[in-house]
Amino acid sequence: MAKFNKLIHQNIRLRIMAALTTLESTDEVDFTYLRDLLEVTDGNLGAHLRKLEEAGYIAINKPFVDRKPRSFACSTDEGRKVFKEHVAALESILKE
Amino acid sequence: MDISQTEAEEALDAIQSMAEKTRRSIAEGGTYITLILTGVIWLLGFMATQFLSTNIIGYIWGGLSILGTILGFVMGFRRSKQIRSPLTIQMVRRVGIFWLILVLFCLAVIFVAQPADGKRAVLLIILFIMLGQMAMGLLLSFSTVWWTLLIAGLALVGYFLFPDIFYLWMSILGGGGMIVFGLYIRSRW
Repeated sequence: MAKFNKLIHQNIRLRIMAALTTLESTDEVDFTYLRDLLEVTDGNLGAHLRKLEEAGYIAINKPFVDRKPRSFACSTDEGRKVFKEHVAALESILKE
Repeated sequence: MDISQTEAEEALDAIQSMAEKTRRSIAEGGTYITLILTGVIWLLGFMATQFLSTNIIGYIWGGLSILGTILGFVMGFRRSKQIRSPLTIQMVRRVGIFWLILVLFCLAVIFVAQPADGKRAVLLIILFIMLGQMAMGLLLSFSTVWWTLLIAGLALVGYFLFPDIFYLWMSILGGGGMIVFGLYIRSRW
């Protein structure tokens, strides 16, 4: 169950996953909301979101809202599972 | 990958603090907007009620209420665009029905009680609004309930101890207080 995940462990990706897994599994957040919450730049957030998306841990939807393209992110079931395992791995390190 | 216990502890702290920040931003995002908006309306409306003639007051409250409702809808709509959830639409519908029923109950109580003066009617309305806000706080977030008790307490103190300056009291302490709380919550996020 406790499985350390090198990809998730990077500070910003760790915080992205913490934020997205705090929401309901059916919720998705706007890119700018996430950027403000994490206090990172557009480019930085975009790069980390791409890595998480490529790994299948998050999903990015790009609908048109008021005729403008918007990006919404949400954690996938796989993302929630590996994040939980990563947290368990961190906790087990503390118990050693 | 081998990491030290300190590094693992720091990572867990970062996760916990991010999760708390997310929960707080969801819970308090709507609260600070409601507080500031209601605060501005109370500040202007009660100030006008204290100092202006009764002919104009109705128009001022009517105008402020319409403006507040429109701004509330616009801000709520903007907020809902940040977090998309299938549960949101259902929740918004239930909240709307709740407030409609509460307004009807408030009108019924005023109709039955026949308050002797405007101040008593205003006090009843304030208590009903705070009851509604408290219910919203309890349903949506426990951290945003306490201010409703404070405002209700302020209204009761003003009504019984300072009846001559009741409207001014509610304007500055009630309206002003809500604006300050709203700004405080906003800055904390």
